[in-house]
Amino acid sequence: MKMIMQPKQPLIRFFLMGLAVLTLLGLAPALRGQDAKTNAPAKDPARTAEPETATPGNKEQIGSTNSAKASAEVKQTRSVAKQLTGAELYSMHCARCHPERYPNDRTSAQWKTVAMHMRVRANLPADHFRKLLKYLQENSGY
Amino acid sequence: MKNMGTKHVFTAGLWGAVCAVAVALIPGVRAAEVSEEDFKALKEEVRKLTEKMDRMEKVHETDEQIKQKDQEQIKQLQDKLGETQTTATEAARKADAATQVQPPIYRVPDDSGSVNKNFMILGDAEVQYAKFPGGHGTFLFADFAPIFLYRAGDRILFEAGFDATLQNGSNPNNGHDSGQTSSFDLSFAQLNYVINDYVTLAAGNMLLPLGTYAQRSAGGWVNKIPDDPLPRDLLPGTGIGAQLLGAIPFGQSGQILNYSVYGVNGPSSSDGTAAPDQLDLGGNVGLHTDNTVGNLHGRPSGGGRLGWFFPFGPPHFDLELGGSIMSGEWDDAGKHLWTGGAVDASVHLGPYLEVKGEYIRTKYGSTVGNINPSGWWIQGAYKLAGLRLQLPGINNLETVGRYDKINDHIGNDSERETVGLIYYFSNTLLLEGAYEFQHGTSQGDVMLLQLGYGF
Repeated sequence: MKMIMQPKQPLIRFFLMGLAVLTLLGLAPALRGQDAKTNAPAKDPARTAEPETATPGNKEQIGSTNSAKASAEVKQTRSVAKQLTGAELYSMHCARCHPERYPNDRTSAQWKTVAMHMRVRANLPADHFRKLLKYLQENSGY
Repeated sequence: MKNMGTKHVFTAGLWGAVCAVAVALIPGVRAAEVSEEDFKALKEEVRKLTEKMDRMEKVHETDEQIKQKDQEQIKQLQDKLGETQTTATEAARKADAATQVQPPIYRVPDDSGSVNKNFMILGDAEVQYAKFPGGHGTFLFADFAPIFLYRAGDRILFEAGFDATLQNGSNPNNGHDSGQTSSFDLSFAQLNYVINDYVTLAAGNMLLPLGTYAQRSAGGWVNKIPDDPLPRDLLPGTGIGAQLLGAIPFGQSGQILNYSVYGVNGPSSSDGTAAPDQLDLGGNVGLHTDNTVGNLHGRPSGGGRLGWFFPFGPPHFDLELGGSIMSGEWDDAGKHLWTGGAVDASVHLGPYLEVKGEYIRTKYGSTVGNINPSGWWIQGAYKLAGLRLQLPGINNLETVGRYDKINDHIGNDSERETVGLIYYFSNTLLLEGAYEFQHGTSQGDVMLLQLGYGF
């Protein structure tokens, strides 16, 4: 008859406490960053003040025009938002599963082969793969 | 009479003037008459003056020559000065250029032959020291696992992984361990073809996307603990078949939705029956022992995984969640299904802290009814470089802990806590130490040391 031994309670508690402490240590920078964002003044680009001299007849039209213009500005801001660079994608993806390999470890042609291998293993999008590969090849060793 | 007088006066005056002039000239006329001595003196004087003039002319010529030489020298010096200034200016320009960050120059691959075709060997090798209860501590050559990669062009990649292990042989007379034997296994071999940006076809003996452990963490040097989590035994690591996979980015922060769907031969039965302890997750590769070809049961198994990768903030802050499932017949008669699934999660909180884990659940019909094996594991690791302590060697250390549990409902119900420490000699050479507290098995606590190298 199989006996199941009770786990060592103090050890589990110590282990879980340690994991909690380490989690808090890791979360602290993220929370500080989130706090800074929270304290920033809220921006609402869609809100615009209607001109006081506008007549009732065209007040709605002016308001809708201002709102559409503000929406277009928001869209334009989003469309020119910062694209992730090859270096940033390298930092994001290439140390998730193993210690990162340095770009100058391999030749340009070798990186192409390795990057394809990693593209399949990590199931990376084509755009990320191409930018990553370009970054690795530009900084390859020889 | 007056007029005649005036005229006479005038005339007299005129003659007087002429006489005065004549008298004035007379001394000059008289002077022309010089003595011979004076002439000779004068001649001598002229001669001397002539000689002096000649000498002065010669001196003048010499001065002119010297002047010309000086001018030529000055010109040469001016030319040299100009060259020196040019050199100094160029040097200053080069120095400025060297101090500025140059934009990266896109490198053309160095070997035109390997632009379109390239062969590489990657992989890892591990040596362990293990101390199991009831046995003596020992060194063992745990694994040599090369991966061959062959790329043909931009769309085709063939990859194959092998495992070479060494173990004791057996004395044929008494069965005692004797000599050594080595095994060389094909762990996976698949051909990948990139159809387009969103779909890649993979076929062969594939690493299955049931969870992410088999594809991303099961290598020696990428696994932070020298052995695998217990519940991974509930799932097949590989399968013979074909797969479609791809990823779709969305948003600007690097979010990814990735998918994979596949069909494989699937699990089988070691004796063909549906006895619960005959489930075989690693067989059924298509070629029988009698060289006939066929699936051991009626239909292939199918499965897939959907994953979501979400980076939140600076690099190394990310979350990945995924769900996988696979199902198909397993006994030869094809009367019972085997279904397995996993929920996987991984979170990175900065470059130092990582937590990941899987919940695995399977279910299969058998001669004694449905069997529902399950298990889960969670692993956390923290690089001590994050503590920013000025201690020697501490930046190369990483602590790791894991809890894993398995219950296969046919006799194995155990759990384990593992604490470990990793020392990184470099980014690819690491020494892992782990102590495992075992519960629910006859095996006691285990100590493992592993030196692993990734190449």
